Amino acid sequence: MSVSGELIAFFGLALVAILGGVLLITLTKVVHMVIALVFTFLSIAGIYLLLSAEFVAIVQILIYSGAITIVMLFGIMLTKHRENDEPAKGGWQRFFLLLAIAGFAVAVYLGIYNLDIPVQPTALHEENTKQIGIELFSKYVIPFEVMSVLLLVALVGAIVLAKKDDEEGDRS
Amino acid sequence: MMENAWLIPIFPLVAFLVLLLVGGRLRERGAYIGIIFTLASFMLSLLTLMERFSAPTYKKTLEWLTLGGTQLTAGFEINQLNALMLVIVSLVSLLVQIYSLGYMKGEGRFSTFYAYLGFFTFAMLGLVMAPNLVQLYFFWELVGVGSFLLIGFYFYKQEAKAAAKKAFIMTRIGDVGLLIGIILLFWETGSFEYGEIFQAVQSGVISDGSLTLIAILIFVGAVGKSGQFPLHTWLPDAMEGPTPVSALIHAATMVAAGVYLVATMFPLFLASEAAMQAVAITGGFTAIFAASIASVQKDVKRVLAYSTISQLGFMMLALGTAGYVAGVFHLMTHAFFKALLFLAAGSVIHAIHTQDIERMGGLWARLKWTGPLFLVGTLAISGFPLLSGFFSKDEILMAAWTNGNYFLFILAVITSFLTAFYMFRLFFMIFAGESRRQAKQVKESPAIMLLPMLVLGVLAVISGYIQTPWFGTFLGEWLVEGNETVLGAAHSEGPAWVMILAVSVALAGILLAYMKYARTKLPREGLVKENSTLYRVLENKYYMDEIYYFTIVQMIKGISLFLSYMERFIIGGLISTVTGSIEGMGKIGSKLQSGQVQQYGMIAFLGLAVLLVIFALTGGYLR
Amino acid sequence: MTGVPLSAYLVLALVLFCIGLYGALTKRNAVIVLISIELMLNAANINLVAFSKLGVTPSITGQVFSLFTITIAAAEAAVGLAILMSLYRNRKTVNVDEMDIMKH
Repeated sequence: MSVSGELIAFFGLALVAILGGVLLITLTKVVHMVIALVFTFLSIAGIYLLLSAEFVAIVQILIYSGAITIVMLFGIMLTKHRENDEPAKGGWQRFFLLLAIAGFAVAVYLGIYNLDIPVQPTALHEENTKQIGIELFSKYVIPFEVMSVLLLVALVGAIVLAKKDDEEGDRS
Repeated sequence: MMENAWLIPIFPLVAFLVLLLVGGRLRERGAYIGIIFTLASFMLSLLTLMERFSAPTYKKTLEWLTLGGTQLTAGFEINQLNALMLVIVSLVSLLVQIYSLGYMKGEGRFSTFYAYLGFFTFAMLGLVMAPNLVQLYFFWELVGVGSFLLIGFYFYKQEAKAAAKKAFIMTRIGDVGLLIGIILLFWETGSFEYGEIFQAVQSGVISDGSLTLIAILIFVGAVGKSGQFPLHTWLPDAMEGPTPVSALIHAATMVAAGVYLVATMFPLFLASEAAMQAVAITGGFTAIFAASIASVQKDVKRVLAYSTISQLGFMMLALGTAGYVAGVFHLMTHAFFKALLFLAAGSVIHAIHTQDIERMGGLWARLKWTGPLFLVGTLAISGFPLLSGFFSKDEILMAAWTNGNYFLFILAVITSFLTAFYMFRLFFMIFAGESRRQAKQVKESPAIMLLPMLVLGVLAVISGYIQTPWFGTFLGEWLVEGNETVLGAAHSEGPAWVMILAVSVALAGILLAYMKYARTKLPREGLVKENSTLYRVLENKYYMDEIYYFTIVQMIKGISLFLSYMERFIIGGLISTVTGSIEGMGKIGSKLQSGQVQQYGMIAFLGLAVLLVIFALTGGYLR
Repeated sequence: MTGVPLSAYLVLALVLFCIGLYGALTKRNAVIVLISIELMLNAANINLVAFSKLGVTPSITGQVFSLFTITIAAAEAAVGLAILMSLYRNRKTVNVDEMDIMKH
């Protein structure tokens, strides 16, 4: 496998994504953690581009890097968190978790290693957004609508939950 | 009258119960209840004995338990031996109770004392009336309890407490032997009834080996109760009890129970040559062994205790040499004169408040009644001619001689000599010599105490005449009546020189004691020096107590220490391991329920990871 | 078509998933826990998109489903934060360790 530009791009993006994840774990300030994660989300969007999924990449940037990160930052600010998030778990618990994760990773990696799927030509990159739109509104209309209902429910639910209790008491 | 004989032990039992219930209120009057009931018991015994002279053996049993094919019975039997024993026990008990009226005066727990005496008398009478071995064992143990209570009557005295425990434990060792013997006997014959057992023994169903084993085990029981070597050590210590108790239990009745047991089971012993040998040798050895200790002891009651052991050994010797009549005869005469001696000794102690014979002396003039009565008892036990002890001892020597066991015969002769010697040593040290006290300090005992002694004194003189070589052998003929083949001759015929020998050794013993202790013609230290090794060995009773202490007691202490550590560390550790592990498991379980969502997630994921790894390692997917 | 093999994407997704899992199970701040869960969802998304191009039957469906997943993740983040807010108002903490009232 010759070194192509695609490969270089993949490794660069993957490095940034993993670095962001590692920073998430190692940093101590909560705000820094969230910022580190933004890099991960952005590089994942890059990965999507490499996979000929332009629309998903854009959505990823909009939703994750934009909306969710901002919401999380608001959440952090509103909850008057302790500045530093020190891990409190016991050493042996952490050790067992790491062991389990390592075991899990190895097991899954074995599965990936044994995976051999021939690469087939695709036309995903041609008019990607149009393809998605056609698929979404022809084949997956009902899930799409259900999804919108779900979003509405989540919206209402979030408002109800976040609303102050005494306000509710005043109204009723 | 014999059909009502079951009332004989009931009377003392009633006395015991009444005193137990209302004794506290009656105080000293409680004594009369005990005496009246025992008197009734004695009268009935006497009537029963009278009737038994002419009537055959009366036996009445009721079915008690049916176990499989075996029936256990309870009841009573009046044969010659039983009738005789009933009279001896009830008479001595009655006299002792009368005597105690004076002796125990001022004692706070007066009624308790009489309650115990009643209980003991009940147990002893029940023992001698028992028609089978189960009942006998039952009363045998009750006698032990009664003895325990009475020895420990002064329970606030440390020595009395220890002595009571010692007596109980030492006799218990023998009791275990008896119990095993009874069980083995039941196993072999399938019955507890004397009659059936003897029938089985005579028909030869039981092998010689097991017969000997059973006989020896039963004899072990007798050894424990009768204070024979090597289980004798409790008897001298039991003198810590009140003196009347010593007279009743440790002279006349309970210790005779062992002899009675052997006499009752005589046909069984006769069937085994080895068992007879064991009985005779144990008896003979104990007789000379205890007599040698008695020669140096300084406590009047201890001298009498060792003398009792020695005389019991004599009886065993007689039984072991097939002298059934001789043994029982000596049992009877001994009961009278030894009870007399104890009561007289009690009277002396009552008068001068010490038991140390070295601090006595010159009391002959002061104690005008006690002195002669003590002399009568001493003469009787020494085998002085024409007194009861003379005839019974003569009978035993004859039995030993005719049996052909000359070694035992010589032992018996030496013991006779020693008996005469130490008894007169005791007598002279108490009554002869110069007085060491002021006259007014020494008071003769009240009449209430002298009366029983008088009765016993008379009996000690005349009771021998029922079995003499000259005036007929009434007792012996009566005892063996109907059983001549088993129990042997009514009278052992022996050469006349045996009697002369017995008399001469007795007189020699008396003379030696007279020289040494009354006239001081011979130096007191002539025979055995005060500080010689032999003297010290005798003084310390051959160090038997010490030997027991350093061997058995220490061994048991070691074992129990080991077991206690085993209990504490091994078993306790095991249990705490079990509880600890369960507790730990519970703690881990409760820790799992921490409410921490992350922990739950972690554990769930751990499970998933383990499953995945197992799956991947054991031939995973897509492979 | 030479390019990045499928397994490379899958390994990247696996690594991100493991990081997210670790963060979700060890961090004490509830907000970080939520973000870690988002990271895990993203890792799953990578898989969906990768399979949509390099799978056995390449199809646009994978991308469509990744859009659904993103929507769900957004809704989850919103509701999760709302719950966090109300909890914080009641208990003055966002520490996961102290959120064990269901136990009592």
